[in-house]
Amino acid sequence: MIIESTMKAVELLFSFDSEIYTIIFLSLAISLLATATASFFGTILGILISISDFKLKRFTKKIVFTFMGIPPVVMGLVVLLLITGPFDGMNLLFTKSAMYIAQTLLVLPIIVGNIIISSEKTQKKILETATTLGANKYHKITLLIKEIKPFILMSVILGFSRALSEVGAVMLVGGNIKNDTRVMTTYIALNNSMGEYSMSIAMGIILLLIAFVLHTLLARFRGDFYD
Amino acid sequence: MIEIKGLVVRYKTVEFKFDDYKFKKNMISIISGRNGTGKTTLLKSLSSLIEYEGNIKVNGEITYNSQEPILFNRSTYENIVYPLRIRNLDLNLYKEKIDKYTRVLSIDHLLNENALKLSSGEKMKVSIIRSIIFNPDIVLLDEPTTHLDLESIVELTTLIKELKNELTFIIVSHNSSFVEELKDEEYRLGGNHVYS
Repeated sequence: MIIESTMKAVELLFSFDSEIYTIIFLSLAISLLATATASFFGTILGILISISDFKLKRFTKKIVFTFMGIPPVVMGLVVLLLITGPFDGMNLLFTKSAMYIAQTLLVLPIIVGNIIISSEKTQKKILETATTLGANKYHKITLLIKEIKPFILMSVILGFSRALSEVGAVMLVGGNIKNDTRVMTTYIALNNSMGEYSMSIAMGIILLLIAFVLHTLLARFRGDFYD
Repeated sequence: MIEIKGLVVRYKTVEFKFDDYKFKKNMISIISGRNGTGKTTLLKSLSSLIEYEGNIKVNGEITYNSQEPILFNRSTYENIVYPLRIRNLDLNLYKEKIDKYTRVLSIDHLLNENALKLSSGEKMKVSIIRSIIFNPDIVLLDEPTTHLDLESIVELTTLIKELKNELTFIIVSHNSSFVEELKDEEYRLGGNHVYS
């Protein structure tokens, strides 16, 4: 049965079925957009938290690290309650925008947390050296960003992996509507529940291929840094 | 040039009390003392990298070169010109100087290499050149000979002697021949530290 379903899945992929490719495109588009937004704000936040001294720093870091592991379905629930509660008037429920918001919030702590960890490891010596060479705060922040660039790229890739592979949040706030808010993971979940394993396997193959490319990139950045 | 008065530094679990002292301009002052007497702590206090009590009066720009050279992930050349870039200085005006210093310390062939891939000794040389290239008034060198071979120590001695009329050096080193070769004055530490 596994072999038969896999053969069917490969056939499906090469049949260039428009529904399948629309789903793949939507998944990639939303996850990329969410990761880009989270990366922009996450990098700034992560660096600011790591280089600043403030009263609730330890507590803030604990919150960030806790949210790094939040189950997607819980994040979906939080966004669902927000868009059907205080932001009800914006009509976001079961829209691509809601999926984008949920994924952005899911990825943000991953980027912030990873940047805090990597930045705190290296920043003290780098910032101390820059200070003795006459660098001001702006120079120090730009230097730090350049020095931890491989870690930032690794965080972004990890964040994108998380966005692309999560199912709980997009299912709750997007509703898995055909030709509208259906993405790869919700498509797999739906077909799985209906016993259409070949469809699920086809999407699984695509997800695995994307994961392979991402982790090859990740390994390269790691290698660049540690060589 | 630098005057310390009533200086007390609490660093980790130790309290250091330093005798009052005046480091003079265009002199090579050696800070000596046994392990744990606060030599590095004093250099870090002078460059305001750690908090202290008492007075440190500094006349001019000061830079500190640590005993473990910290280089940035970029070429040797870009590391050397970093202090010039952040001051928006014209790099062309410093070309001759860069050529000279890198030649004296035998790292002129490494300018295009990534600095993180250099050996420890080469890293130290890059770090020292980066500390002096922008003409600070006072240069603090913490164990500059640590990773250097004998030939390199001679090269560094030559460079420091050449620059003595332009810069003021305060050096911590356990290398006695290096110290004897360069020393104009000595500030000896010891006995004034308490463990809490």
